[in-house]
Amino acid sequence: MNCWDPRVEEMPQAELRQMQYKLLKSLVYRLYSFSPFYHDRMKEQNVHPDDIHALSDVEKLPFMFKRDLRDNYPDKIFTATKDDLVRYHVSSGTTGKPTVVGYTQNDLDTWTTSLARALTSLGLGRGDVIQVSYGYGLFTGGLGLHYGAERIGATVLPTSVGNTERQIELMQDLGATAIACTPSYLLHIGEVAEKMGVDLHKDTNLRTGILGAEPWTEQMRVRMEEWLGIKAYDIYGTSELSGPMFTECTEQDGFHVWSDIALVEIIDPKTGEQVAPGERGELTMTILQKEALPMIRFRIGDITRVNEEVCACGRTHPRVDRIQGRVDDMLIIRGINVFPSQVEYTLMTIPEVGQHFQIVVDRKGALDDMLVRVELNKESFSDKITDLMLIRQKVEHKLRNVLNVNANVELVEPGSLPRYEGKSKKVVDRRSL
Amino acid sequence: MFWDKTTETLKGEKLNALQIRRLKQTIHQSQKVGFYKKRLTDAHVRPEDIRTVGDITRIPFTKKQDLRNGYPFGFFAVPLNKVIRIHTTSGTTGKPTVVGYTKKDLDTWADLIARNMTMVGVTKNDIFQNMVNYGMFTGGLGFHYGAEKIGMTVIPGATGNTKRQIEMIRDFGVTTIHCTPSYAMHLSEVAEDLHASLDSLKTGIFGAEPWSETMRSSLEERLGVTAFDSYGLSELFGPGVAFECPERDGLHIWHDVYLVEIINPKTGEQLGDGERGELVVTPLLKEAMPLLRYRTGDITMKMEDGCLCRRGQKIGRITGRSDDMLVIRGINVFPSQIEHVLLKIPEVGNQFMVYVDKVNHLDEMTVDVEINRDYFSGELADLARIQKKIVKELHDALELRTTVKLVEPGSLPRFEGKANRVVDQRGDEI
Repeated sequence: MNCWDPRVEEMPQAELRQMQYKLLKSLVYRLYSFSPFYHDRMKEQNVHPDDIHALSDVEKLPFMFKRDLRDNYPDKIFTATKDDLVRYHVSSGTTGKPTVVGYTQNDLDTWTTSLARALTSLGLGRGDVIQVSYGYGLFTGGLGLHYGAERIGATVLPTSVGNTERQIELMQDLGATAIACTPSYLLHIGEVAEKMGVDLHKDTNLRTGILGAEPWTEQMRVRMEEWLGIKAYDIYGTSELSGPMFTECTEQDGFHVWSDIALVEIIDPKTGEQVAPGERGELTMTILQKEALPMIRFRIGDITRVNEEVCACGRTHPRVDRIQGRVDDMLIIRGINVFPSQVEYTLMTIPEVGQHFQIVVDRKGALDDMLVRVELNKESFSDKITDLMLIRQKVEHKLRNVLNVNANVELVEPGSLPRYEGKSKKVVDRRSL
Repeated sequence: MFWDKTTETLKGEKLNALQIRRLKQTIHQSQKVGFYKKRLTDAHVRPEDIRTVGDITRIPFTKKQDLRNGYPFGFFAVPLNKVIRIHTTSGTTGKPTVVGYTKKDLDTWADLIARNMTMVGVTKNDIFQNMVNYGMFTGGLGFHYGAEKIGMTVIPGATGNTKRQIEMIRDFGVTTIHCTPSYAMHLSEVAEDLHASLDSLKTGIFGAEPWSETMRSSLEERLGVTAFDSYGLSELFGPGVAFECPERDGLHIWHDVYLVEIINPKTGEQLGDGERGELVVTPLLKEAMPLLRYRTGDITMKMEDGCLCRRGQKIGRITGRSDDMLVIRGINVFPSQIEHVLLKIPEVGNQFMVYVDKVNHLDEMTVDVEINRDYFSGELADLARIQKKIVKELHDALELRTTVKLVEPGSLPRFEGKANRVVDQRGDEI
């Protein structure tokens, strides 16, 4: 196994927890003394740094939410002086003010180290050519991966997003061995390559996909790996945590969250209590090493579960399952919780279905109505109505079995649904309009 | 203010000694590149024949076309696993020019940007918004790394969403901006429309396209900044090659890193101080991709020595090109690229015309294209499709949005001698 920092990555779990406890305690003391925001929050919650006697005492601390960042726009929560800030990233909010994240030099180093470990755990290193096709600039994806890839000594191709044909040409000509982008963009690249007559497996050195910034599923991985002849890995992070931070290792069984950087909890979004080990709930993180914008018990809003077992790769840090969806993405259809990822997972098990789909939710009278528009793959697209009927029935049946709710299915021609270069918008909810 | 005072003010014998030492290293490094090994052999020059800086004239020039012929890695002097960054820049036709960087190259480059920004009074306490393209374009990442090296707060604004750029300037108290002069003008207009104050701004760094003194006064007044000209090109790392000091009378080119010649572009002869000609540069510290006597195509001159700031000899602001390259919204475009794209499209006839204009201070390129009768059905929908296709193909090749007009076969001017298919109507002024 190849480790960037074996001493930490393979540290016995008891020692890791001890380290986390120390980091947590000093973080809490620091914020209680220097951050008016956290000071007030801890007072409200009736907790004092002296009350933290063990790692599990993290539960006594107050939560922090995304809205806290927006309410304190742009930098009221920051605990670094302006002179110590070396970077801002800004993520566009869906409503009103954007979220602003500031970084000190140490914050950038922690972020980069986290990714250096992650990329090394995928077997990447010096000699690899990594094409960074995430957007550069205010979005954290581009510069984050760029710095991580540079740190491990790989050759970085900063292609950013867009101009897909040029991206494919450069991938071929400059021998890219890995690409970092959203899973939807890789699908798009795959399709454009096919049109250009480029076989990504035979005609390029591409072997690794580092895919994230939107949830995707295990079935999508199976398809992508088979279709493009690559290994596809999940990468995770949000701008509040610095940016993309954690990836799966070559075991492809959850992304490793470095314990010296973050403390993971899974919370029941309704009660705010920790769920039982292995249960699903809302991912909540305390970033143990962050100077400019500290995060205690940040409720990320992603639904997943955590696995504390030592990984087959030898790394001792906990693994978080791929994200099943957002607390706020969760659709409630006639009282039943539906995650878009469940729909994707189900569709991808059906061979006649292509890679693209769209969920349209509407209200018919008093009832929620869910329509799933599904692209067929080229081979299965047929003129025969009876064939199409059969496929449609099959898709509806499978969806009902998994979701426990009826969905109408509309089959559409390959290539007719919208394609996305960045994050895809797979759900159209017309009920609120 | 100085970033590295000793080096920046190095002159006379000491500078000369450093230059010759680095030139010898560079020639040594260049011999790891097949092209240069052959070049020197063909010119009957052995590396050890270069004993003085003046001996460099024995080495033939390197042209952009040479780099293109070496696509993709023909000019790399180190194995690919030592290259940690690749940028590409538009080639004259089809394939781009590839530039590689080792770790040391990136450090040298960031150091030059740090020198430039420090020279104009920017410090680690400044807040810097970098409003140029990131990614393959060297302007974005180049300034980003330099500003970070100084320890400034960097806002990687990149391009687009002008309203948000203005919001950020206001909300973060931005003091220093970097963008193209045309974008700066656009920014000031949008700010005016929004009645947004840009009071925190002090310093404007403008580059990637030529701009005039009139433009400078206008930008300074509208944005409340002191405006500085920045020069560079990807083949020589990127931006940072030369930069104005607070005197703002010519650009300091860093003589410890770049060996400067001004030549007559027709004869190749060296010109003296004060004589305008083409800038030819031999970078002295490039590891991944050494170049010897690289012809930049930019027209300038060596100025009289003796700047008040005590740094070395300056070059004048760029006044034109020795070739037909156009700079459109900071992007380099060769007419040959446009031709290459158009003639690949079967629906397009053999004639086209390119017009470049300024609309609201932003460059606009319009391409008139004759359609090919054989591929034209006469239906309107067909015209729209062809037009869309041409716009897309041009965008993919040039990374530039253009307006395409389809015209009747036979309606564009025919040329008997040298075709002049590009009409630049922007003039010198804004």
